[in-house]
Amino acid sequence: MSKPVLFLKNASIFQRESLILSEVNVSINKGEFVYLIGKTGTGKSSFMKTLYGDLPLQEGDGEIVDFDLRTLKEKDIPFLRRKLGVVFQDFKLLNDRTVNDNLLFVLKATGWKDKKSMETKIDEVLGKVGMKTKGFKYPYQLSGGEQQRVAIARALLNDPELILADEPTGNLDPQTSVEVMEVLQDINKNGNTILMATHDYALLLKYPSKTLKCDENQIFEVVQKTV
Amino acid sequence: MSTSFEKYQKRRLISSYFSVVISISLVLFLLGMLGLLVLNTKKVADHFKEQIALSIYLKETAKEVEITQLQKSLSLADYTKSAVYVPKEEAAEKLSVEIGEDFIDYLGDNPLQNSIDVFLNADFVTPELMEEITNELLAKGFVDEVIYDKPLIALLNDNIKRISFWVLIISGVFTFIAVLLINSSIRLSVYSKRFTIKTMQMVGATKSFIRKPFIWKSIKLGVVGIFVAWIGMGVVIYSLNKTFPELLLIEQPLILGAMFLSIFVLGVFISWLSTFFATQRFLNLRTDELYY
Repeated sequence: MSKPVLFLKNASIFQRESLILSEVNVSINKGEFVYLIGKTGTGKSSFMKTLYGDLPLQEGDGEIVDFDLRTLKEKDIPFLRRKLGVVFQDFKLLNDRTVNDNLLFVLKATGWKDKKSMETKIDEVLGKVGMKTKGFKYPYQLSGGEQQRVAIARALLNDPELILADEPTGNLDPQTSVEVMEVLQDINKNGNTILMATHDYALLLKYPSKTLKCDENQIFEVVQKTV
Repeated sequence: MSTSFEKYQKRRLISSYFSVVISISLVLFLLGMLGLLVLNTKKVADHFKEQIALSIYLKETAKEVEITQLQKSLSLADYTKSAVYVPKEEAAEKLSVEIGEDFIDYLGDNPLQNSIDVFLNADFVTPELMEEITNELLAKGFVDEVIYDKPLIALLNDNIKRISFWVLIISGVFTFIAVLLINSSIRLSVYSKRFTIKTMQMVGATKSFIRKPFIWKSIKLGVVGIFVAWIGMGVVIYSLNKTFPELLLIEQPLILGAMFLSIFVLGVFISWLSTFFATQRFLNLRTDELYY
């Protein structure tokens, strides 16, 4: 079996001085779709933040898309994030520019130069999330579900080895959640690895998959029935 | 497709840039005016200094040749701005006008001496140098005495020193305030984009890539501010020149040019530096810390 995209061994995660999670042992392989569930305040977001370099890993070992989280340097963080796609609960689009320019910014920021290939790429990812006709709009002119699709499209731009989605449906109504979930499922079927934090149990039941649970400073795998 | 909503949004943005431009231009204008003051304290002081005359009284026995020779050597000396020979008849006439009666009439004789009034270059109007010049002149046999207003010169030098000192201090304080003001208005405009900055970091942009457009924007605003300041300075210099042409404000294009240029450099530099530090501050914060 090939090397896991993400693994953590005996890792502890701190928010400043307070311990959030300890003895974290997680491993995610290429092509998997993994849920991360747990009540609010159990450390889901801190866990995600550690993975994309917003929180330092202070104890234990961790490796994500070939970056060692323990020795991760400040200046390497942008390059780690280029190999990840991050989707947030609050979309985090740049509100001062259109959807196309949002995507264009990411491409330019990550070193793309050729105008033609950038346009092709933007078309491609917008097509994947079914937003091809909305490229000229500003984020505030879009509904929440549409914004989240754009955010997912943005996460796909650099063909990431792992997509981290931190409660991507948290701000959406149930029906829109299902639509966004369909998009994520499609992407997963195309071979992308996805780690999705959520507390939307309806989605878990509808799209069962490997599930990790955060509880009492621990992360452990749960079998769907016991959820 | 520019709806009224978008126009409104744009107008709001423009008005927030407006305050940055205004603060930059006001501060630079103020600095320019101070610069003008500093440059001209010397000129004003020199103007006063060069009004002071050193009178060389000549003995009755002095020969015509000696007088013309002295005049010539005086006009060649580097401390002389101008030297005027005042024959005693002319001096008497002036004095009569001053005191209002013809004193030669009742004295029967003109008691005044022939003299040369020397107006010195400002740089030589110090008690020490004037003393030196006096001694040098007195060494000549046909010079009777050399007279100038000693206390006035001491007072003038003291006051000029004191005034220049305070002008410098005040300029320093104003420069500090200037930097502080520009810095805080730029910080505010960067602060309003702190979440945008964070988002940009989240998608893998490097710090310098994020910083670049911010710095460009600030420098552009800074340059607009500089132009506004220039216009203000131009207007002030023009009207000052009309009121006090003796300051010769416009006669020194090089100094004026240097001042306008340094205002430009300062404006760009401050905008660049403030933006650099303001963006750096938010780039170095973790996401959670943005809310504190």
